[in-house]
Amino acid sequence: MSKEDILNGLSEAVVMGKPDQSKLFAQKAIDENVNPLDAINSGLVKGMSVVGDRYAAREVYLPQVLMSANTMYAGLDILLPMIPSEDLADKKRVIIGVVEGDVHDIGKNIVKTMMTAGGLEVNDLGRDVPTDTFISTAESYKTDVVAMSTLMTPTMDGMKDVIDGLVESGYRSNTKVVIGGPPTSPDFAAEIGADHRDANAQDSVAWLKGALL
Amino acid sequence: MNHLERAMAALTDGEADRLPAYPIACGVNRKLLGDDVTYAQWCSNPKTFADAFIAGQKYFDFDFAIGLMDLSVMAGDLGAHVRMDDENTPFVDEPIIHDIEDYEKLEVPDIKQGRSHVIVEGTRLFTEKLKDEVICAAFLEGPLLALTQAAGAERVFMDMFTNPSAVHAGVKTMVDYDVQMVEAFSETGVAGLVWDYLWANYSCLGDKEYDEFEGCDKYAGKLNKLVVDSGMANCIHNCADLPHLDTQVKKFKPAIYSMAYYPLIPGSPSAAEVIENGYSDNCLMAGNIDPQFFIRASTEKISKVTSDLCQEVKTALCKRGLNSRYCIASGCEVPPDRVTKLENIKAVVDVTKEDGKLGDC
Repeated sequence: MSKEDILNGLSEAVVMGKPDQSKLFAQKAIDENVNPLDAINSGLVKGMSVVGDRYAAREVYLPQVLMSANTMYAGLDILLPMIPSEDLADKKRVIIGVVEGDVHDIGKNIVKTMMTAGGLEVNDLGRDVPTDTFISTAESYKTDVVAMSTLMTPTMDGMKDVIDGLVESGYRSNTKVVIGGPPTSPDFAAEIGADHRDANAQDSVAWLKGALL
Repeated sequence: MNHLERAMAALTDGEADRLPAYPIACGVNRKLLGDDVTYAQWCSNPKTFADAFIAGQKYFDFDFAIGLMDLSVMAGDLGAHVRMDDENTPFVDEPIIHDIEDYEKLEVPDIKQGRSHVIVEGTRLFTEKLKDEVICAAFLEGPLLALTQAAGAERVFMDMFTNPSAVHAGVKTMVDYDVQMVEAFSETGVAGLVWDYLWANYSCLGDKEYDEFEGCDKYAGKLNKLVVDSGMANCIHNCADLPHLDTQVKKFKPAIYSMAYYPLIPGSPSAAEVIENGYSDNCLMAGNIDPQFFIRASTEKISKVTSDLCQEVKTALCKRGLNSRYCIASGCEVPPDRVTKLENIKAVVDVTKEDGKLGDC
């Protein structure tokens, strides 16, 4: 099988939401000595970008996006361990999570997927993440971005607690802080000292890539 | 006009003295019962639930009373673990679907127990007290929302793609659950029932997916008809960003449709656009003050926003040849936080009383 066929197979697997096909072509990439970074960027990520564009154009919806994300991660699980660590050294790092007191994480998971597809190294802290975990992980992981979300109003102030904690720890100047979730707004982001809030995942990633250059 | 006369005029696009006002203040009303009443107590005790609505009506002078509790009532009674903090809206933190087979195992719980009982009984209590003053309505989670709450939304969405028959089995059980709840609410004296059909929004589902998993005749169609056949006005609340208005307003034909407005999201329709596009022609549309303003805006700011919305709506109604078919409301529930400003809720009602006055176009 040619390299082109393998890359197309990976991309198509993501577009169609077929995790088994993604695993199969990821393994073929390794067997055929395709550079794993190429397989990720020109295969999996390319497919996810197609899905992202279709989602933005309302040609596909959340069920398809979630399946495609699942498919991309299935391939990444096989390909990422094959990449020499020095090849990943320049990747910008993100920690992402739903703030303490909230477990609604679909939005966060979509943003995480688009960040991964956008070439960022994402450390998902999960949901109901304690404030201290955001702060301590930011420093230990040497993150370039802290991304937080919440669906609920009573937990919004947890975002400010994290930012205040980053200021207190002295790490705030080393990282961008982006927030998201229906009750948040650009005004709220400014009020609590975040750098950015966007209405959708793709725009947020595009902003981040520009801001991190 | 009194509240009932005004609401009835607005529902039928008759000549009302002013636009009706109903910021969706529910859990926040507990603050009027005293500082020691927690959110957890409010949503677990029928009398406390009802007393808060009664106190809210007395204090704010609304035009409607709608018994929204939270969106984990049904999931909790189905067996999902609900985290109930003292001062936060309860939510499911441990869903009950772990395998595809689990959808088939879902069973309608005994609605005379748990919070299903609390909301039915609480609705009966506040309706008994308020029904001669305002139109009272029950609030109920639609079947797909109830399922996603019980099973986890991400799981359900992916299973729609890979195991649709299992999801249908789950939705069917939720419909059966909803049927029992509708029948119970119909005995409480409410004039209407408000569905939360949240997932009909283009950020999540397309028309095809929504129709298959909720919007079709055997699910929402059946429930909408049951509400009407049970003598209640069928109403819908959908606070998502891009609601399926053609399906939920034009096809479902509710008496009232409550929706939010997200100015930063392209395609989110404003109040004027909703009216201009004909959605108020046969339905009392309600919206769309940003709920965050009840916490974060000054009273002056929310008064200005309300005044501007009244003007926008009146202008659009006149252009469309309509009289009164728009209710000044919050797009979503007024945040039930302790720090929510009661004076801002009152300001929305009071400004609507003045700036929502209707006359000749």
